[in-house]
Amino acid sequence: MEIAVNQYRVDYQRRGEIVRRLALAIMFVVAASLPVVGWSAAADPIPPVGTYDGIDVEQPIEFPHNVHVDVNKINCMYCHTYARRSKVAGIPPTSKCMGCHKIIATDKPRIQKLTEYWQKKQSPPWKKVHDLPDFVHFTHERHLKRFVFDRDYPVEDVKDICAFCHGQIKDMTVAHKVKPLNMGWCKSCHEANGGPGDCWKCHK
Amino acid sequence: MSLQNIMENWSNYRRGAEEGGHHKYEHRWGMAINLDLCIGCNACSTACYAENNLAVVGKSRFAKGQAMHWLRVERYWDESQNKSSSVTPDYPEEGASFLPMMCQQCNSATCEPVCPVAATYHTPDGLNAQVYNRCIGSRYCSNNCPYRNRYFNFFSYYESSWPEPLNLQLNPDLTVRDKGVMEKCTFCVQRIRAAKDKAKMADRKVQDGEFTTACAQACPTGAIVFGDRLDETSKVAKLWQQHEVKLGVYKQHKQNPEKRGYRIFEELNVDPSVMYLERVRDTGI
Repeated sequence: MEIAVNQYRVDYQRRGEIVRRLALAIMFVVAASLPVVGWSAAADPIPPVGTYDGIDVEQPIEFPHNVHVDVNKINCMYCHTYARRSKVAGIPPTSKCMGCHKIIATDKPRIQKLTEYWQKKQSPPWKKVHDLPDFVHFTHERHLKRFVFDRDYPVEDVKDICAFCHGQIKDMTVAHKVKPLNMGWCKSCHEANGGPGDCWKCHK
Repeated sequence: MSLQNIMENWSNYRRGAEEGGHHKYEHRWGMAINLDLCIGCNACSTACYAENNLAVVGKSRFAKGQAMHWLRVERYWDESQNKSSSVTPDYPEEGASFLPMMCQQCNSATCEPVCPVAATYHTPDGLNAQVYNRCIGSRYCSNNCPYRNRYFNFFSYYESSWPEPLNLQLNPDLTVRDKGVMEKCTFCVQRIRAAKDKAKMADRKVQDGEFTTACAQACPTGAIVFGDRLDETSKVAKLWQQHEVKLGVYKQHKQNPEKRGYRIFEELNVDPSVMYLERVRDTGI
């Protein structure tokens, strides 16, 4: 009986040592991986995969994104200014359009149409192209923080980040849906970049 | 998390809360409701209707028990002191006490493991999630809830509930539920989500008192206190501590009448997140 007890003690001591060594090893591994984790948080994002050919949405004015973004190099967030501070990117108010177009390109038929709306004190009835179902919570600000501001990405190149979900808007006139914006597609990016995986983070 | 969590931890899923469960919690949202302060005014219920797009089902459906009140104020009557009359009226003139009853956000909830499609599951925030677009309307969860706090959309109530222009009052932060979907109190998860988003934008943690649920906000006497029980400095955590109510305990052993805290159906070991403070009575009934 006594021998058995002693045996147990020896075993117990040895186990304690193993546990201590393991703990040290784990601590070392964790410490070594910390900078890696820190680096991966700011790492280049892996864009979601998959394309989709959406239907053309007819807009009241054929707004030329390409002229604004590609030719005149205007930042997406100059007009879609709410993107960095709210859930929605926002359609700019007509006053913002008129801020430039009181002077610029006033002879173009599109601008004349815009000026008509402006004089009638109406906003052009823009239609939503990238629409998510009502049961989805998506916030632009958190995505911009993660992919632009947190990794000190040059804000003037933000269009390449927007392109993850909106495609190359700089090559389009009116926006055309080129990404599926469905759950599997969202999830592909969330999994690749360590986004939240909890159902209730996005479903409401 | 979520579905993956359920699949991987299925054998542990019903591991009792007294063993610590199996979840890694970020927050554990909880409530403390002081029944001594509750005056039964139903403001909480009304606020809930407004905040959570609850459909108004109408008198006849209400009578059939189809009301969608996520938060209902239950009435209880003290036994009549007047022993001479053998007949007790349905609504005695005195002795009413009220109990706001909402989803208790159980930590080992009975509704979760019976869902065939994992539409209801436990979040890392300590909430019973209900994912509407995943729900197929089997109603197992509702039948398994000991509190009867889950409500089923038997009809498309939204068609008649908000005639124009009342549809403009709908809260865009959560779905308007359609026929065939189970719903229940979410502890105003849209507010939680907004507060967490705001906190993350500023690289900080959610502060206690930064936001509250609609019912707690509307309560005129402040009977409902909402907060994070993981945050020891929060008002709700202090109340739980003060009244010696602990998580993972299914039987309270308290001698001191000053410690009024209890949880409903604690003995079922569902580990609810809502603590009630018993009413103080001067009559000693």
